[in-house]
Amino acid sequence: MEAVLTHHLDINAPLNLQAYRAAGGYRSLNAAFDRKPEEIIETVEAANLRGRGGAGFSCGLKWRLRGADAPRPRYLICNIDESEPGTFKDRHLLYGGPHQIIEAVIVSAYALQAEQAVIFVRGEYAKGGNGLRRALEEAEIAGLVGTNIGGNGFDLQIEVHVSGGRYICGEETAMLNAIEGRRPNPRPKIPRPSVKGLWGYPTTTNNVETLVNVPHILLNGAAWFHDLGVNGGCGTKLFCVSGMVQHPGLFELPCGTSARELIFEHAGGLAEGRTLLGFLPGGASTAFLLPEHLDVPMDFDPVAKAGSRLGTGSIIVLDDTTCPVQVTLNLMRFFARESCGFCTPCRDGLPYLAQILTAIAAGEGQAEDLALLEELSDIIGPQSFCAFAPGAVTPLISSLQGFRKHYESHIATGRCPFDAADRNGA
Amino acid sequence: MGTIRIENHEIPFREGDNILKTALAAGMEIPYFCYHTALGSLGACRLCAVEITPKDPGKAPQVVMACLEPARGGIEVSISSAAAQQVRQKVIEFLMTNHPHDCPVCDEGGECHLQEMTVACGPPYRRYRGRKRTFTNQYLGPLVHHEMNRCITCYRCTRFYQDYALGDDLGAMRLRNEVYFGRFQDGPLASPFAGNLVEICPTGVFTDAVFRQHFARVWDLKTAPSICPHCSIGCNTLPGARDGMLRRVRNRFHPDLNRWFICDRGRYGHQYSEHPARPLTSRVDGAKVSYRQALAAAAEQIKAVGDKTGGLGSVREDLEGNTLLRALLNGFNGIFTAFSDPRLEAATITAVTALQNTTGAPSLAEMEQADAALIVGDLTAHAPMIDLALRQAYRSGARLAVLHSGPTPLARFAATALAIPPHEMSVCLSHLSERAAAPSAANSNQKEMLANIVVSLTASHRPLLIGVTETLSASQIAVLAQLAAALGPGARLAYALPGANAYGAALLSQTGRATAMLEAIETGHIQNLIVAGNDPLGDTRLGARWRAARQRLDSLIVLDCVATATAEAADILIPVAAWAERSGTFVNYEGRAQGFTHTFRRPEFLPSTAEVIADLARHLELVLPDIAAALGDTFPGYQAPVPGAPGSPLPAPAIPMHIDTTIHQGCESHPGRWQAALSTWYGDDPLASFAPALTELVPAVAALISPAAALNEGIKAGERVRLQGPAGTVVLPVQPDNDVAAGTIALTRAVLAQLGAGHGDPLELEKVS
Ligand SMILES: Cc1cc2nc3c(=O)[nH]c(=O)nc-3n(C[C@H](O)[C@H](O)[C@H](O)COP(=O)(O)O)c2cc1C
Ligand code: SF4
Ligand code: SF4
Ligand code: SF4
Ligand code: FES
Repeated sequence: MEAVLTHHLDINAPLNLQAYRAAGGYRSLNAAFDRKPEEIIETVEAANLRGRGGAGFSCGLKWRLRGADAPRPRYLICNIDESEPGTFKDRHLLYGGPHQIIEAVIVSAYALQAEQAVIFVRGEYAKGGNGLRRALEEAEIAGLVGTNIGGNGFDLQIEVHVSGGRYICGEETAMLNAIEGRRPNPRPKIPRPSVKGLWGYPTTTNNVETLVNVPHILLNGAAWFHDLGVNGGCGTKLFCVSGMVQHPGLFELPCGTSARELIFEHAGGLAEGRTLLGFLPGGASTAFLLPEHLDVPMDFDPVAKAGSRLGTGSIIVLDDTTCPVQVTLNLMRFFARESCGFCTPCRDGLPYLAQILTAIAAGEGQAEDLALLEELSDIIGPQSFCAFAPGAVTPLISSLQGFRKHYESHIATGRCPFDAADRNGA
Repeated sequence: MGTIRIENHEIPFREGDNILKTALAAGMEIPYFCYHTALGSLGACRLCAVEITPKDPGKAPQVVMACLEPARGGIEVSISSAAAQQVRQKVIEFLMTNHPHDCPVCDEGGECHLQEMTVACGPPYRRYRGRKRTFTNQYLGPLVHHEMNRCITCYRCTRFYQDYALGDDLGAMRLRNEVYFGRFQDGPLASPFAGNLVEICPTGVFTDAVFRQHFARVWDLKTAPSICPHCSIGCNTLPGARDGMLRRVRNRFHPDLNRWFICDRGRYGHQYSEHPARPLTSRVDGAKVSYRQALAAAAEQIKAVGDKTGGLGSVREDLEGNTLLRALLNGFNGIFTAFSDPRLEAATITAVTALQNTTGAPSLAEMEQADAALIVGDLTAHAPMIDLALRQAYRSGARLAVLHSGPTPLARFAATALAIPPHEMSVCLSHLSERAAAPSAANSNQKEMLANIVVSLTASHRPLLIGVTETLSASQIAVLAQLAAALGPGARLAYALPGANAYGAALLSQTGRATAMLEAIETGHIQNLIVAGNDPLGDTRLGARWRAARQRLDSLIVLDCVATATAEAADILIPVAAWAERSGTFVNYEGRAQGFTHTFRRPEFLPSTAEVIADLARHLELVLPDIAAALGDTFPGYQAPVPGAPGSPLPAPAIPMHIDTTIHQGCESHPGRWQAALSTWYGDDPLASFAPALTELVPAVAALISPAAALNEGIKAGERVRLQGPAGTVVLPVQPDNDVAAGTIALTRAVLAQLGAGHGDPLELEKVS
């Protein structure tokens, strides 16, 4: 398969405007301007392009539901806040090819008839943000961004906003507050951002990987996009594989590629003599899958059917030398630290979970702790204000199920069995 | 309007209301933390969990947050379902992981919402074994004490302070379970409404720092419904006393006036009644005597001079005291007025007359509904809660226009704020009034801005005009009323009056009486003056003249509860009960008579003013009607308002409107190069200036002039100037301020008193080298 999204990426020397154009960049603008915005939305919907930011919602449907008659001004936000542990695909897109992002934003904004776009960049990706700003300047000078773009009467301002730097800022509504200069607390679900978003106006947010697919779909059509996938998936997907593999990295592969192929072929498999304990399929906020799930196609619906989520398509691998309790504790510490502090179950519940896990991992767990973890998680997930907390407890709940005996042995023996293994090995 | 089933009761709901609001309105308890009637729903605490069973039998019951879920017909709500209880218990358990459990030493104990909810929801045991988070507290000034470890992160404080009261020096900082509610740096809270944090915070993070100095458990406090004595709004309050000492004041809900909040002057001004210098023993010629002896001495003086007695009541004296004093004076044809300054007398009477000839002043709740408002003067200092009401109007999109001579906090929120020198205010108001009556072309920048104000008032549905009586002349007040009339029947008019009972006092006074009284003293026609709750010798503008006149008096008899200059100079001083120690009536800016009842008695014998006058009448063998009869004679059909009830309009025969709106030469012509403007702050009134915690916050004294004027004069910030007024000279540092009008020097009341100048009076300014 030929790389589509990563074809011209170079994180050391990203293409400038001239080189990007020479490589065929910005061709989709004419393809877009030749069509009515509704037609573009139809094509994207037909292509079954699903959101790459985590939830997998149909991009075309989201755009259509915003409504062609939404009041103005309308906003498009390109989400490059990428802070999910184990996820580094958007970073690659940002550092490797800023013009590809700008092109995607222009045609997407045209489809949505949005006059203002904000590219929201993770705080730690500030250098990437600078590169993006330079590219944007080139594009503005070339008349690709601004008023009456390409003489087609379409106006678009693009702004690069580098985040203050917290995981929660990537959540769609917290991001609106962040851009407006408020505390990045998520907003209530109603009114939806598509109705009342940034500064109170209709706003559409998409992950950057979702958006960079759009120019290619415009140029090559929905059927072409379907054909890119395998096992029923559509398009290519940027997969990140990390953890206990030989060659961790980023792989653009057909959507629907199996986890087995990703881990054992592309990422080089496990170290000599190790066996797979389990893996997170879609980033830190997804449920652990077990070796029996290796042949599940890495696509939205099949992974969901297996009890987890494709999320950001970022696999984190555990082998038989990794203590799953430690890994889970690590994740819970992360989530407890990144809670925005708005609602009680998440803000005060996650540190509580982390505290119990700390005790268990240190061999100080008590018999009733596992039931307590489950009892607390059952409230924290569903009763929190935004989707952060449900994501946060997901790996814990699945870890308690999938690796139960590891937890029990920590509590029963009063120590971490993997500590002993390490000591023996050393 | 439909009905919703909550715990098997059919409860009516208003379209758009959520389940929590609906239930609370029907008197059903759903536990909550972050919801507040004034601040609305947030959805953060997650305590208000209830289980709803949808109409559709195919759908399973679901736990939702009552504060976020719209009330809908056909759904069943269970507060007591096991699933909902589970959520509430977990929320409490989560909150308790960091709570210090320091209830025994916490000031909030006994009236702590967190404590109540924790007991109500459970669980009674704690399973968390980890460390608790700890914070460093801040010094937030003399009014509010900070104890952050008790925080449950409900965001009520910032939602009140920033979103509702539009303050900007307190906020939420940091994230996770470390969200910190405080200031960027230690320092006094700047909002005039900061004290409300004490009540809005559901736990003991923000507590009353003044109360703390003489703390008592809430169950040990004596309370009784009261009315704030510190300005003309008449906010409803609940003083609390213990062991013969007033400890604190809290808000008491009034549906049309203050509702959930009061200002800091109202909350902390009460310290005047515990001031160490407060007169508590009667004095005759400086010697301590008994109450009886003082009465006898006073009676003797009055008998000696016969009808040459005058009576000066007060805008801060209750209706009973003023009415009886006037009745006493009527008994021997003496002069009575409640005002020591004829200008203020004329202005207040004109304002009350104007209100009586319109639909009357709107309540605070109605002011919040205004969609355009013209404000003349500084409301923050003269009627703080009107300021808060207008901040709500502003938040809902009302266009505010402010005409001011000195700094005023509301200017920040105004669509148009014009700094107008006092002597130009009349022309300005007349111009507005003429324009409203007949639009014409604007020919200057300022006129254009005035034209815009008229356009915005005319275009609005609920325009509101408010003037500050103390900084307006009678004719300016009348012009404002004309403007209201020109805007049509939808326009509402209000005035911030100069005292808690200024409305009532004005109805008992008559324009010209203050001048007549002063002249009568100066010419020896009054030899004996009874002053009740007033301080003529400390008068801002006429203090020097009063002090000279005082020399001509045979006897000055003073009834008061604070050590004013007049009380200090009294021949016969009879201390009276402060407001929380007596029952009485104040008539607020709307003409609403509100009763208050004594919260407690001090160990000393302290009668009310009315009681002293009744006793005095007995000594004089005068037949005075009792207080009820005296009030009935003055206000036909008068019924004493019941303390704790929302008050009733004072029945008063309408005063015919014969007001001169012509601009008087002399006081309104150009006063020379410089003129004075009264620039005060929210903690300033004759009583609250005896409250130590508030006075700690008095802004630094300076001569405020516009930056352009400073540049013109070659005066830099901090350089000193000598100001010369009719009564004296004062040297002050200069502080350039954008909100001061051209040619105007904005000065505090105390400085004006030293200079003997009132608002708008000419001054000399000279740079001190
Ligand atoms: C806690 C949280 C963090 C998130 N962070 C990101 C992020 O960093 N990048 C992103 O694209 N989407 C993130 N999302 C998802 C966004 O809210 C939003 O759904 C997404 O940007 C929509 O784009 P898509 O439909 O193209 O996937 C996050 C969601 C949650 C709940
Ligand atoms: S779930 Fe967590 S991140 Fe989301 S609003 Fe609540 S505290 Fe904030
Ligand atoms: S300080 Fe009080 S009001 Fe503010 S968030 Fe904490 S508990 Fe709530
Ligand atoms: S606004 Fe006036 S009446 Fe109300 S609390 Fe403040 S000082 Fe008292
Ligand atoms: S009161 Fe409903 S969530 Fe706090």
